[in-house]
Amino acid sequence: MVVEQTKLPTGVSHAKSNSMNENIDHTQLSEWLNQVADKRCKNAFTHLFKFFAPKIQRIARSKFPNEAQSHEVVQETMSNVWRKAHLFDANKGAATTWVYTVMRNVTFDLLRKVKSNREDNLSDDIWPIAEGSVTEEQVYEDHLESNQLLRVIEALPEAQQQVVKGFYLMEMSQEQLANHLNLPLGTIKSRLRLALAKLKVQLGEEHD
Amino acid sequence: MIKHHPKFELLQSYVNGDLPASLAIGISIHADMCTDCQHTIAQLTEQVAEHSFEEATVRLDDLDSNSFTSYSEEADEEDFFESMISNITFSDDADVITEALQREVIFRDKTYQLPTALSRIELGKAANIGKLSRSRLQLDEDEIHSSLLHINPGGGVPAHTHKGFELTVLLDGSFTDSRGEYNKGDFILLDGTFTHNPISQNGCLCYTVANDALHFTQGINKLLNPIGSFIY
Repeated sequence: MVVEQTKLPTGVSHAKSNSMNENIDHTQLSEWLNQVADKRCKNAFTHLFKFFAPKIQRIARSKFPNEAQSHEVVQETMSNVWRKAHLFDANKGAATTWVYTVMRNVTFDLLRKVKSNREDNLSDDIWPIAEGSVTEEQVYEDHLESNQLLRVIEALPEAQQQVVKGFYLMEMSQEQLANHLNLPLGTIKSRLRLALAKLKVQLGEEHD
Repeated sequence: MIKHHPKFELLQSYVNGDLPASLAIGISIHADMCTDCQHTIAQLTEQVAEHSFEEATVRLDDLDSNSFTSYSEEADEEDFFESMISNITFSDDADVITEALQREVIFRDKTYQLPTALSRIELGKAANIGKLSRSRLQLDEDEIHSSLLHINPGGGVPAHTHKGFELTVLLDGSFTDSRGEYNKGDFILLDGTFTHNPISQNGCLCYTVANDALHFTQGINKLLNPIGSFIY
């Protein structure tokens, strides 16, 4: 299904996600949000404001015909960020994702007010802000990791691949592997060590 | 087991907030029951968020055209933003989030729990024809009508087509048409080219959205056409 396409990073999308990380300091944004939530820190809020407000304004400008309305989106979104920051959970997703949902909901309600003249503010019922994702997420995450792990293993040199797959996937002992591959035990051990070091670097890179 | 899901493009518009409330509600109801779509939505949201906020500077394009005005505009904007920040942070109050209220509806003596997305929408008085009951949702979206449609056991909607689209999300129970059986959680979006005749053996409750009247296609039921807009 389509999910698969977006889930497995290809070479291209991987490069893209690297450049995204350079543009956005996710850790910093989360930290500011948490400081706003825990300490009502105005300084952290000002940082968040300076990062998000101009971008929100530009996005809102493309959806609303007049400037006053786009200011209203900025005002509403950022005050929701101030008043609801405690609903943000860094374990469930990026700060950008959370602020995006807040902005999307504000925009939706305001558009509805403009178009249908309804002030029913349905957005938070349609897209709940409190719970970003669901418990099943965990299952998927594991699934992803193992896929990624396999990909990285496939990229190892053939000799190391054999050892890693035998040891971890087929659960053979190092002695069994030595017999099976007709190699000295020391070679098996050093190949395994080399492979693991490589995996660590690879996975570390991909996780950052 | 849910077999019918919104198309990828529809999920994307949902995430972007571009759909009319009626359709966004339909997807929200489906996603509430469908972990696959929940996952796709979470992923799309992450992507579109990243994309929305990734641009490093906003005014790069403006600079070369007329740097003088753009500087002063920038200064204005800065003042404006400064005052907005102090307004917002003036009060330290945080929002308290209350549990979404659980709302129930009764159709012909049977009680149903409504999904969160429908918990605050005004419902019109139920109208009945035979084994069908319909209650209109007050969303005020012009030609788009949203309703709760209840079919009593053994009831059905006579073969019909639509000039526009017809969305059905099954909130409870099941129904069948020529293409097979539909169950709780299924998201069925049909366009005007499709004719169907849903029948519910054991009864069901649906959330429906349509942007035009039904058009009955068979025999005697053609007589119903004048009241086609009544059902959906």
